[in-house]
Amino acid sequence: MNTSTNLQGLPGVFEEEVSPEGKLRVSFGPQHPGSGHMRIILTINGDIVEDAIPDVGYVHRGVEKMCEYKTYIQNIPHIERPAIHDSAGTTLPYILATEKLLDLSEKVPERAQYIRMLLAEMNRMINHFYFLGILGIFMGHSTVTTWGMGDRELLIETAAMMTGARVTFSFIVPGGVRTDTPHGFEERLLKSCDYLESRVKTYKDYLLENPFARMRMENVGIIKKEDAIAFGLAGPTLRGSGVKSDVRKDEPYLLYDTVEFDVPSYPEGDAMARTKVHIEEIQQSIAIIRQVVGKMKPGPVKIPLRGQIRGKIGDAYARVEGARGMNSYYIISDGQVYPYRVRVNTADSRNLAIMRRVLQGVRVADVPVVHWSLDYWPVAADR
Amino acid sequence: MKITEFVKGFMISVNTGIQHLFRKRMTTMYPETQNYPTLDMYAYDPRKGIAVSGWRGRHYLDMTKCTGCQLCYIACENISEAIEMVPLPETNYPQNKKKIFPAVDYGRCVFCGFCVDACPFYALYMTPVAELSEYDRNDLYYSPYELSKPPAVNPTPRAKEKIDIKRGVYDER
Ligand code: SF4
Ligand code: SF4
Repeated sequence: MNTSTNLQGLPGVFEEEVSPEGKLRVSFGPQHPGSGHMRIILTINGDIVEDAIPDVGYVHRGVEKMCEYKTYIQNIPHIERPAIHDSAGTTLPYILATEKLLDLSEKVPERAQYIRMLLAEMNRMINHFYFLGILGIFMGHSTVTTWGMGDRELLIETAAMMTGARVTFSFIVPGGVRTDTPHGFEERLLKSCDYLESRVKTYKDYLLENPFARMRMENVGIIKKEDAIAFGLAGPTLRGSGVKSDVRKDEPYLLYDTVEFDVPSYPEGDAMARTKVHIEEIQQSIAIIRQVVGKMKPGPVKIPLRGQIRGKIGDAYARVEGARGMNSYYIISDGQVYPYRVRVNTADSRNLAIMRRVLQGVRVADVPVVHWSLDYWPVAADR
Repeated sequence: MKITEFVKGFMISVNTGIQHLFRKRMTTMYPETQNYPTLDMYAYDPRKGIAVSGWRGRHYLDMTKCTGCQLCYIACENISEAIEMVPLPETNYPQNKKKIFPAVDYGRCVFCGFCVDACPFYALYMTPVAELSEYDRNDLYYSPYELSKPPAVNPTPRAKEKIDIKRGVYDER
């Protein structure tokens, strides 16, 4: 029985084959040769990718359904797990939406909001150094990989000093944050920021000036501005196509309207532009952290909530700019201790939408670079 | 790319690489030096409703304070179901009439610390002990007696970390 013709295009059921015209259909992934926990079904003509069908869902864990039988607090640990390098950016919109349901949004203490901003910006930098590291290994530039992972470690340990965990912080809770900053935290954070600022220049010299890295990234995987808007992309991928859009500026949450920062964007729309956006954003995060540490005053960091918390009957929506783009949560509550329905929308699933279009026409060796520069993380996209 | 641009970029990146030869090594020699970010215990003050920051590692159970109220068990119920209340009829603590204490299965625990936040009697803490690996899965199950042993803080002194813009991040011996 020949199933390969009528089931063509259906991911999961396909055979590697050579068509009469000499095109080869192969599976890229899912055992991670640079594809993450997903598979791309490539149709290759010589060295050129003619079609690329992303096959996702390998790491679907049913976060939305799980939210329906856990209380508002019990949801926090599992919500942050899909996005291990941006756990603050993933939990923050959930917490902001929950606070709207609890009528707490106005009452959260100022210091708690500043600490949340610190953690969110640290997480943005952790994600961006991880991005640079993995980008390096996908290009065959393993020096940048070790540097990226090493510099990330500095921030992880600073965050662990305050939160008590290295990656999954579970730190932001309804009503504030769990602990105040420990002794010596601000000092170490500012010191790390000084160090990382000097590193940003090193990355620029080593990665953006390097002619071989430029050959790998320039004019590769171009997304036009119109396409970026039409496909609803988010985060550095959108800004790498020349759209200056950032939730922190467009709809300020926490106290982002009190700090000054730029939204970097580059019009080229290629992998290089997206990498430049990441490096610039590290610099902007350092600027935000310095301003926030200067503004922080001693004070309470949490409104104690006693007993089980119950949302009021109704719904709430919140969105934040996570490290990889806009993350949003929509929660419906029927007054019980469990949410009635939680809808999770991550930037990663938005950036996946354009993958098929972008990969058409690139060379096979460029597929990992384009794939990673899209800021698509399968675990957060599958949820 | 013009040839002048190529040569210039090449020189800049090679120069950056050469400068790195004179920096200190960033890696920590793991078993000899340990780089815990903090050596404090994670604790929760139920009266103030706020926690004290510390490393969220293995739990520490104060059996002289635990009343067997099961609130930690209820908190963990939907997170990972790592806590089990075990009866210890041989114990004789006046505050614990039911004679039940929590035991933690570290094969399941995700170290979120919400059980510590749920304890209203200052009985549960989390210690900076993170090396919990065992050869047998059953050894990951910590009984109340094991949990109430004071945390064996590693005798090797914590590496003193230096953050230096010129020389890099390194451990001072
Ligand atoms: S730390 Fe979290 S997962 Fe572990 S026992 Fe406590 S509540 Fe359960
Ligand atoms: S450890 Fe605390 S919460 Fe758990 S049973 Fe004992 S007193 Fe209750």
